[in-house]
Amino acid sequence: MNNTAPSPMSAIATSSSGRGTGKSTSFALELQSMMFSLGDARRPLHETAVLVEDIVHTQLINLLQQAAEVSQLRGARVISAEDLLFLMRKDKKKLKRLLKYMFFRDYKSKIVKGIEEDDLLEDKFSSSSNVNKRQKIAQDFLHSIDQTGELLAMFEDDEIDDIKQERMERAERQTRMMDAAQYAEFCESRQLSFSKKASKFRDWLDCSSMEIKPNVIAMEILAYLAYETVAQLVDLALLVRQDMAPKAGDPFSHAISATFIQYHASAESTAACGIEAQSNAIQPSHIREAIRRYGHKIGPVSPFTSAYRRNGMTFLAC
Amino acid sequence: MTRPCKQPRFINLITDGLRIALLAGADCFICPNPRPLTVGASYPGINQWRVLLGAAGPEPTSQACDDILRLRLMDTHRSPSHSPIPKLTERPRVLLISSPLFTLMEEEPYLEIYLDRCMNQDELASTSSHLFSPIVPYDSYLHTSSNQETIASPLEPSKEPSTDLSSVDLSFLPDELNQENTEQTLTEGKPGVEGNHEIQGAPSRVQSLNEKDSGGICTDDFSLSNSGLNPLSDGNSTLPSPENSSSGFFPLTSMTPLMPVTPVSEGSGIVPQLQNIVSTVNLACKLDLKKIALQAKNAEYNPKRFAAVIMRIREPRTTALIFSSGKMVCTGAKSEELSRLAARKFARVVQKLGFPARFLDFKIQNMVGSCDMRFPIRLESLALTHQQFSSYEPELFPGLIYRMVKPRIVLLIFVSGKVVLTGAKERSEIYEAFENIYPILKGFKKA
Repeated sequence: MNNTAPSPMSAIATSSSGRGTGKSTSFALELQSMMFSLGDARRPLHETAVLVEDIVHTQLINLLQQAAEVSQLRGARVISAEDLLFLMRKDKKKLKRLLKYMFFRDYKSKIVKGIEEDDLLEDKFSSSSNVNKRQKIAQDFLHSIDQTGELLAMFEDDEIDDIKQERMERAERQTRMMDAAQYAEFCESRQLSFSKKASKFRDWLDCSSMEIKPNVIAMEILAYLAYETVAQLVDLALLVRQDMAPKAGDPFSHAISATFIQYHASAESTAACGIEAQSNAIQPSHIREAIRRYGHKIGPVSPFTSAYRRNGMTFLAC
Repeated sequence: MTRPCKQPRFINLITDGLRIALLAGADCFICPNPRPLTVGASYPGINQWRVLLGAAGPEPTSQACDDILRLRLMDTHRSPSHSPIPKLTERPRVLLISSPLFTLMEEEPYLEIYLDRCMNQDELASTSSHLFSPIVPYDSYLHTSSNQETIASPLEPSKEPSTDLSSVDLSFLPDELNQENTEQTLTEGKPGVEGNHEIQGAPSRVQSLNEKDSGGICTDDFSLSNSGLNPLSDGNSTLPSPENSSSGFFPLTSMTPLMPVTPVSEGSGIVPQLQNIVSTVNLACKLDLKKIALQAKNAEYNPKRFAAVIMRIREPRTTALIFSSGKMVCTGAKSEELSRLAARKFARVVQKLGFPARFLDFKIQNMVGSCDMRFPIRLESLALTHQQFSSYEPELFPGLIYRMVKPRIVLLIFVSGKVVLTGAKERSEIYEAFENIYPILKGFKKA
């Protein structure tokens, strides 16, 4: 679990982030499956999974703390969905993706309710306003904070989510070559999520030590954000890996940054040491390079494009 | 008996009618007499058996009625424990008189009208207190090709566990014959759809049919052979070829279906099975939920959690939510008829507890069907190609949610090939949706 190589993330992480060595819960195995389903090789590297877990954990803890501050601002007793939505308000694409996820959750429970007779009665027992509950929360909240009208315009907006599209295409390409057994495995991996292991997720985040705890919907959103972070990391790492592949006639090959070469070299040296690194698995070096590039401030507008840079931490998920 | 009919079209009409009767859910046929030419079909109503007869005139028809009654009486005497004494509850009345030149296609709506009226007559109060559960083979769609038609004619319609009246209702034979001597023919409407037609101008149309002049009366016999009916659960669309029957009938040749039967299994060979039907009905009286919960068996009532009584019955296995306003939701039945039957049983229970319950506005709200494609499906590709209809989030739900626009059905498609269809108000929507999705899914078959 301890990262010996200097990681920009750990340097900036606040001391209260639960990176204690006594942590018993580890999502490394689940993360390996998740990365496979998101586009990594058939058996992702354990080190990569550990690094990803570390990053996700750090980011989530920070996110939770900032959400707690926001909810304190509004005088609430629990961290709820509104706080997290507030944190994400700056990045419309990611916010839209989150909203779509919430609506889909509502829709799915509505349908499954109609099919399962027991669920029908269960739902009748609980409040009948369960239908589209998340949608209502989201709409009400965005309505309240929206000043320029652009957030509410998102609800009508029907643009295709490019990143989502790319992920779907990648998945499709991956599955095209598989046979039935491999495909079954792939589907199983795809179904893994943090929300399925809610209690383990809670422990992992060490929620019990916080004064303000997140409620149920906030936990759902956090699980979703964790998954999004992993997905983003894999996306970016795949891009980095693609960049690293030497391409004949690449006009920018002379412009690769020094740090990049250093990481590249270290990866190669480990391979030279005889460690069997799979040629198509994502290496930790890819991940680190991806993080570095993502956090790199380029251009005049970059301080305003990502939420909450007070810690200097750039969140991947929002 | 072995004389072929001079007018083959008439034969076709009558046996078509029988086939249609099969489609409508009739599960036994009575062929009491070769002479006069009479064939009949009886199908179970809620408390009675309705018998449709085709014959060559009113007199042979009423004679056939007597025969049927007599035979039923004989049956009862033979096995007295089985069924009660059959009685005519209504005077037989003619449903349709038509000439053999009349095609069946136009005659379809009339039987629907008749069925409709029969359904409306199924008032709770008017019938006896007993309910029996007819086994209505709605799943047994028949798709006949030009094979030989074989029709079973067992003479035991009694599946009733009842002790009450089960009457033979020959209600469509005429009390007065309007016009000339014409043949009556059997007509049947599309199967499985009850109470959804609002055709009220029926009687006048039936009258106008009588204007048509009849052709010759075919009094010739034709033969039917006994054979079993195939339930169509595996999509097999042909009936078995007739065997030699004891009654010495010989098989019919060259049956051409005149009526467009809904081609359920054409192309796919798979029929979705209905899993759940949700229906609502209005009992039209205020109810005291506490009293119901205390006095009725199998009833739960927890006013703090939910403002309705939850009642369950075992046959058919269903659950009802009964509200104090008198409205009731019935879930869990596997077919439309069973849902209606269950709703009636619940209403009966409420009635027995002393409330003036009626049975108004029975409406099916949702039908759920499921089937198995038997091959794995590449959901990622499907989600990509049919983006505007599909939502696939495997972290949330292992199935792909496909929103079909026409008909408006939601399909849950799983990797294993299982498909669940929901959101239908009618059975035909489920079948149609499945037929639409089948070629699409075949294209995404995982090799």
